[in-house]
Amino acid sequence: MDFLRLIEQSSFSQWVTGSSSVLAFPTILLLHTIGMGVVVGISAGIDLRILGLAPAIPLAPMERFFPMLWIGFTVNAITGVILLAADATTKATNPDFYVKMAFIALAVINQRMLRTRVFRDPFIDKKPLTPDAKVLAITSVIFWLGAITAGRLMAYVGPVSGLTK
Amino acid sequence: MNLAHIHLLLNHFPTIGFGIALGLFLVALMRNSEELKRTSLVIFFLISALAIPTYLSGNAALETLCSGPEGACPPGVSVAMIRAHEDAALPGFILMELTGFIAWLGLWQYRLISRTPRWNISAVLLLSILSFAFMARAANIGGEIRHPEIVATAQAASEGGSAPEGSGPVHAMVRGIGAYVTGHTWVWPSCETLHFVGLSMLFSVVLLVDLRILGVAKRMSFSSLYQLMPLGMLGFAMNLTTGMVFFIAAPEQYTKNPVFYWKILFVVLGAVNVLYFMLLDQPWKVGAGDDAPLTAKLVAGSAIFVWVGVLFFGHMLPFLGNAF
Repeated sequence: MDFLRLIEQSSFSQWVTGSSSVLAFPTILLLHTIGMGVVVGISAGIDLRILGLAPAIPLAPMERFFPMLWIGFTVNAITGVILLAADATTKATNPDFYVKMAFIALAVINQRMLRTRVFRDPFIDKKPLTPDAKVLAITSVIFWLGAITAGRLMAYVGPVSGLTK
Repeated sequence: MNLAHIHLLLNHFPTIGFGIALGLFLVALMRNSEELKRTSLVIFFLISALAIPTYLSGNAALETLCSGPEGACPPGVSVAMIRAHEDAALPGFILMELTGFIAWLGLWQYRLISRTPRWNISAVLLLSILSFAFMARAANIGGEIRHPEIVATAQAASEGGSAPEGSGPVHAMVRGIGAYVTGHTWVWPSCETLHFVGLSMLFSVVLLVDLRILGVAKRMSFSSLYQLMPLGMLGFAMNLTTGMVFFIAAPEQYTKNPVFYWKILFVVLGAVNVLYFMLLDQPWKVGAGDDAPLTAKLVAGSAIFVWVGVLFFGHMLPFLGNAF
């Protein structure tokens, strides 16, 4: 707890939460939301394609969007760490935060598995998708929905600092 | 000029626009002209987009008009009449948005089957007639708010022994919905979560389609990605619905917030933007491996700009604006 307080009271954390500059908390949170749109948006597009929506889209070139997805993910990892540091005593003691982290960990593992099973398959787009791939697409959607829900609810359940709008 | 003027300016568009589109649609059906049918669908869609600021500016007009102590209205203006106008406008608005959504689906499917789908014609016809009827009623009540000559006779009849206007509790459906939202703690967070899910669905389409046009993953043809577009429209519909829940629950957070005006302006721009992909042949010529023409790239870039802008203004409502 002392450690969390130390982080929260660092001058950087104080700037994030205390500064009246729109570049502090508002912009960091904005980047976190845009990153979410990029990560979940691209993932969802690929998952739904695997599940049969828009069957004319060839799957193989969709891999080109993965770098974009990981840029979004990196932005969110960085801004997420900042948002956590700025409000450490509250967020790190909120069980919902760990629910969100668990969903994100599962979603990332899921994404790696999808890459190996679907996109590393030399017969991609040449033979029908396996039930395996469809299951992974469904779990991917569920994990991201879980992460969004848990993330949004951090402003409402458990200890809430009133910082998160 | 204030937002009350905006409402008085905009409020003629939904009713008159839908009237014109409906007339055109009937002519198109009689002549069986695909081009006229498509034109009417475009008008239905655009008017339904314009209906969004029209509805929202109504609350602003109310606040400007009735800005006395505790929201007192000037003499001759009845709160009950304004609430009745609001209650008539919401169902009309919902029907209008549904018509716009279905008309868009018709335009979308037209590209795939080269004619307006039959199911779509019946659905648009039914919904647009209902919308027009409901909106005409709302417009009629709205006109009576500040045109005393129309209600002079009715007022004369009620002046006998009725309570002063605006003094008693006003029974109003839309205010009741708002009270329900603010009175139940689960509603707001649930709608926010859905608003984020809708955002992701919309972003899914905006990113995949527009980044492809801009040159990422060129092995995909535009026509294959086009199949994905209803997902984005569904995300938008979810966000319009949940957004209206927020607005109805706490209208003054938005009507007095200039950041919100920008957000709505960008939403309308987004509606105009998407029509490029529905109507023009240019993006359709972008096959697998092709580089898209410059115009297509500009439109795709502006789509990303507009939707990130909508997100930006929405996010900044409490920071640059004064909500919450």
